[in-house]
Amino acid sequence: MARFSDYGFSPLLPSRPSHIIAFIRPKPRQPPTMATFVVPLKFNKLDLRDYLFHAYNVKVLAVRSFVNQPPPQRKNGVANGKWYRPRSMKMMIAELAQPFVWPDAPAVEDRTAFDYEIWNRMNSEREKSIAHQSAAQEGDIIMRSQQKLSGDRRQLQNEAKKLLKSAPRWTSETSAATKGEAWTEVEEGVKLEALDKKKY
Amino acid sequence: MASSSAIRPSMGAATLLQSCRAAVSSSATPRRAAGGLLFPTQTASLSTTVSLLKRHTYPGARDNKDHNKHRSESAIRRTGTRWRLSVSDEPLPQPVKRENLPKVETDPNHGLWDFFLDRQTVAQAPGEDVKHGRGWTVEELRHKSWDDLHRLWWVCVKERNRIATANWERNKSKLGFGESESKARDMAVRTTMRGIRHALTERFYTWEDAVKLAEADPEVDLSGEVAPYTPNEYFEENVFEEEGAELSAEEIAELERAEVEQAERASKAAPSDVSTTPLMAESQKLQGEALRL
Repeated sequence: MARFSDYGFSPLLPSRPSHIIAFIRPKPRQPPTMATFVVPLKFNKLDLRDYLFHAYNVKVLAVRSFVNQPPPQRKNGVANGKWYRPRSMKMMIAELAQPFVWPDAPAVEDRTAFDYEIWNRMNSEREKSIAHQSAAQEGDIIMRSQQKLSGDRRQLQNEAKKLLKSAPRWTSETSAATKGEAWTEVEEGVKLEALDKKKY
Repeated sequence: MASSSAIRPSMGAATLLQSCRAAVSSSATPRRAAGGLLFPTQTASLSTTVSLLKRHTYPGARDNKDHNKHRSESAIRRTGTRWRLSVSDEPLPQPVKRENLPKVETDPNHGLWDFFLDRQTVAQAPGEDVKHGRGWTVEELRHKSWDDLHRLWWVCVKERNRIATANWERNKSKLGFGESESKARDMAVRTTMRGIRHALTERFYTWEDAVKLAEADPEVDLSGEVAPYTPNEYFEENVFEEEGAELSAEEIAELERAEVEQAERASKAAPSDVSTTPLMAESQKLQGEALRL
């Protein structure tokens, strides 16, 4: 009887395959003897075993497989798009004869070559807008007052609060005009930055 | 048996190996005596339904067994298991925290490293990723041997796997930019693969045409039992007469020696540049078959 460790050539596997197989970072508690791969849907366990042995010289003791079925989505990501279900993805976990430990992902400081800072800013904005859109689809439109304020606005708000606290409340009695006093220039002595005409 | 543990407490290991049923009955008896509480005790040695107890002994009687391994075991009637339970006397191992476990070393020659563009970051930085040339054109690939094309195909396959792994890692670990660069790299590889397929298809069509021609040709024998090419007599005679007359015996010997030397050189050169993997071996076999055809 043929055993799982009897490596051969899968009859379904052509001599020049064009399959793409991605090796995936293991989950935090996954042992180093288990390697996860994203494989084509038509792949079976024996195919992966033979593929890894002949193309990568990696011996595999057993293979577990599962299919991830994504939830239905709207076409083009719009609210009235047609419903469709994205293609499923097959994943296989191979039990390795020799353990393989993945290197740790580079720290945030070490991602400068990937332009991480700009990417992160763009990505967070994108995620925010997606969250807004999906909330709007559900019928909850997030009002401006419910949104998180940006740094500039928060600063302005704080300044306004401070001003309201310190200064006496304005009434017509206290205003300079009713008192018959002369107008005072509030912004006197405030230096503004010169506008760069080339820029605007 | 009822009070074995009470009488002989020193027996230790001997009492550890006892059936659960015995343990239940031994613990139930003293408790009832002490507290006067009415615990349900096992009254029958076997707990089963009456209908199943009935036996059919007449010839050709039906099988009355229900093949239930757990028949007569009951949690309500406090029956034990029907077999002995072994309890080891050895101390249980203490769990060790993940951090305290010895670090697993990866073999630097592990085959799975081939899935990584960079052993540290897995995905290459976009600046490194753009450092690639164009794909092979069909014109360049037409001059390559079957083996070379097959090897190049597998280089491409592994490169595409590397790119797919890097893409996944970049997205999941949120490394940053680099998607368009890796796409361009992938396209270059795909160009080469398309070229290989094109060149091989062309070659196959040529072979098909050649077979068609050979079938019609009286000089060619495709049976495989005799030499495939037998030139016509008049042609052979002419050549022999023209060339054979000029060549002396020494010259013929010299030519033969040169041929042998050339064959030896070719046989030496062939295995040195072929990395013999199982796939390569198969490819050679296939090529051999193709040549024989």
